[in-house]
Amino acid sequence: MKKIQFNKNSIVRRYIFLMGVFIGAFLLLAGLLLYSFYELNEEYTSKNRQLEDKERLVQDMEEAFLQAFMDVRGYFAYGSENLKDNALEQEPQILDSMKELEEMEEDFKDQSFLNEVDKFREYYFTEALPVNLGEFEKGNIEAVKAAANEGATNKIEAFMADINEYNEAINDQIDANFDELKKIQSYVQFGFVVFVLAFLIVLLRITRLMFSEIARPLAGFAAAANEIAYGREAVIEVEKDRNDELGVLSIAFNRMLEGIQENEQNLLAQNEELVAQQDELHAQQLELQEALEIVKNNEQKLSSRNELINKLANSLDKQEVMESAVLNMCPIIGAEKGIIAFIEDSSYASYGISPGGVGQFLNNLLFSGVVDRLKMDRKPFAMKRQAAEEEKGFHTENLLSFDLYIPIFLSGKKLIAVMAFSRNDAPFDNRLMEEYEAMAKNVGIAMDKVNLYQASEEARRLNQDILDTIQEGVQLVNTEGKILQVNKKFCELFRCPEKLREMDGCSWADWIVLLEDSIEEAGEFINFLKSEVASQEKYSSNEEQFIYKNKEGKVFKVYCEGLFDGNTKLGTIFVHRNITKEFEVDRIKSEFVSTVSHELRTPLASILGFTELMLNRELKLDRQKKYLSTIHNEAGRLTDLINDFLDIQRMESGKQEYEKKQLAMLLIIKKVIELQKVHSESHELSLEFLGGRDFVIGDAGKLEQALTNLIHNAIKYSPEGGRVGVVVFEKDGRVKIEIQDEGLGIPPEALDRLFEKFYRVDNSDRRSIGGTGLGLAIVKEIIHDHGGDISVKSQFGKGSTFTISLPVSDSQTV
Amino acid sequence: MKRILLAEDEEILRMLITDTLEDEDFQVVEAGDGQEALDLLKDGKYDLIVLDYMMPVYSGLEVIVKIRQEGINKDVPIMMLSAKSQLSEQEQVIAAGADYFMAKPFSPLELLGKVRDILNEKNTIQ
Repeated sequence: MKKIQFNKNSIVRRYIFLMGVFIGAFLLLAGLLLYSFYELNEEYTSKNRQLEDKERLVQDMEEAFLQAFMDVRGYFAYGSENLKDNALEQEPQILDSMKELEEMEEDFKDQSFLNEVDKFREYYFTEALPVNLGEFEKGNIEAVKAAANEGATNKIEAFMADINEYNEAINDQIDANFDELKKIQSYVQFGFVVFVLAFLIVLLRITRLMFSEIARPLAGFAAAANEIAYGREAVIEVEKDRNDELGVLSIAFNRMLEGIQENEQNLLAQNEELVAQQDELHAQQLELQEALEIVKNNEQKLSSRNELINKLANSLDKQEVMESAVLNMCPIIGAEKGIIAFIEDSSYASYGISPGGVGQFLNNLLFSGVVDRLKMDRKPFAMKRQAAEEEKGFHTENLLSFDLYIPIFLSGKKLIAVMAFSRNDAPFDNRLMEEYEAMAKNVGIAMDKVNLYQASEEARRLNQDILDTIQEGVQLVNTEGKILQVNKKFCELFRCPEKLREMDGCSWADWIVLLEDSIEEAGEFINFLKSEVASQEKYSSNEEQFIYKNKEGKVFKVYCEGLFDGNTKLGTIFVHRNITKEFEVDRIKSEFVSTVSHELRTPLASILGFTELMLNRELKLDRQKKYLSTIHNEAGRLTDLINDFLDIQRMESGKQEYEKKQLAMLLIIKKVIELQKVHSESHELSLEFLGGRDFVIGDAGKLEQALTNLIHNAIKYSPEGGRVGVVVFEKDGRVKIEIQDEGLGIPPEALDRLFEKFYRVDNSDRRSIGGTGLGLAIVKEIIHDHGGDISVKSQFGKGSTFTISLPVSDSQTV
Repeated sequence: MKRILLAEDEEILRMLITDTLEDEDFQVVEAGDGQEALDLLKDGKYDLIVLDYMMPVYSGLEVIVKIRQEGINKDVPIMMLSAKSQLSEQEQVIAAGADYFMAKPFSPLELLGKVRDILNEKNTIQ
């Protein structure tokens, strides 16, 4: 219980007045103290300055007298008029100083000192100095000395002692003055300390007053407020006549206290109401949590159901469908473990079951009666049993297990699989059996779909395998040009075998890029494809084919055929057939015909031309002979050509006959070289035999023809001349004949095809050296027919070496 | 005297054509291949050019193309001789800029008549 007494009108005004008076008094007294201190300083300074002025004047007089003494003595010593004048000039200065000192005269001491100075000045400047100066100027030095000795010097010394004495008296006065100042200053400082202490005491009194009148009641308020805050009772009492702020505050505080108490009552009532509401809300919350739990449970079931439906709808993989069925149906049904097993192939998927359990289930499935019951009832059923030891976990008491069996039928009503689910201590709700049955139907439908897909996939794969065995590129496109199917060969043609699976469904724009990248002058071909894709013609004609060349130089013929369902076009089949060989054969044949034509026409033109001239013109005999000789040679050339054609035709048809006997190859080669020398003057033909045997079994004419052909070629393809050498030696039981030249050589790409019929090396960039393209083919045929073989090595631009290898013969007969 | 350039790789045919034309007071300059023909055409003006189709270095067709592009004989009539008498080859030759085509084997007197016609035509035009 706190009690506060208060009887003033306004704390603020009162304390403003008190502090005003206090600060005013403080400022006034401090001002007075400072002023008196200032006055004291001023007095001391003025007194000190006066004494210092006196001291200065006395010193000036002393210096003037001393200067006069010195100058007079100097004059007596040196006779300098300047020194005399200087000495005399000191008197007015002394008089001025005396006049100033007279004005400062204060006491008897000053007056007595001035009289002494005046008397001495009178004596020195008026009596002694004029007499001595007169004596000195008369030259009576002795009289001057005598005057000095008689008492002048003593008087001067006595006077100087007086001055010193007066000076010391002034100094003593200055010191006394300073000591006086110090004493007064210490009094003033003491007074200031007393003043400060007095004011501190007053301030303390004011503070105590403020504490007793403000702080103490405020502390009472705070304590009371604290009491109230802790819920205890408290009364704030102040004097009834106290009308100041604290009086007002106490009244307001009491009112506030009443308000708080009233509010507290209200709040308590409200609180009781809220507690009641809270209980109600808590009950509702529990209900909501239960509902939420159910919703979450349903949500999870729905999620699993959606997952199941999704998988069943989208998956075409049997195992995936089975796994999805078990995994998603376990949470929907509320089972702890589950299995789906196919009756025919024992394929299965399980959840929460050990491999041993799975094996046991599969082994007993057909014999447990479950399958028979499902086949008969055609609907799910549940069973109750005692839980097995391994199912109990940590439970030691009896535990019931509940099993649910669900059949899965195909659309043809055939039972294909069984689903089994199990849980402990909670029976399966019979009301949900229809729902489980519906889910099982969905699984059955999905299995139908998987079977259909697998069947169609197998058919597609078979179809694809068949297509892939076809040695032509097959491409089926729809009416928009999108690829429906291609075979492996097609992908190989367009250099994308790894993209076989990606090609199906490839848009026109995408696969056309492939074509453009791999076909020469693809524009025309693409236009052909466009027109065929757009064509509505049901029956193809021969015009619906196109020949193109790819960038590897291979030639393809494309056939196409529209694919119709009744009158509706479904797409177009393009067959890309590699006709490179046929094309090449045609080209070679065409070139051969052209070559034969050229080779035949040239000598024929000569023969006809010259005979025409001989028949229609009168020619001189020598020209006639020249023409006839030419006609004869050209006729021979024609004969050789025709013989070549006939030879190759005979060899191809197997009708070539040989008259074989033992031959010495060296003799044949020598003969051929001799004959060829006639035709070439710019070549150096040589034969080198390295030893060994040179006998072979053969047809002399045919072997001669082969060697002639090879040596003639060596000459013909060395247009700049050079060495043509034939080297013969035996090696490994064979006669080796090498025909070497230093001619044009053979390009590397032509070496493999050199012995092909009608093949002629393209040398138009160097020298268009003609030929039938049959010579080397005939040589090869002849050598092969003799059990030998022929090979070639060549450095392009540097020459070639053809090597014939024939079996050595020791016998004389064939 | 009219100058004729004859480019033919077959020496015997060159002799046949040269003898046929020179007996009739034409001056014939001979070339053994396409390169030689082009070199000769740079050096002098000709009234007629007779080319073989198949020649070393440059074929008759290539020579025609080069002649028609530039040079002092740019507008001279060209006669092409060829053992390749297929229509496609003839068309190719005419398209390249040849004026006449004669297939081998040919009649030298027919060729002479053709040469006369060409040169008379040329004179008439001039």
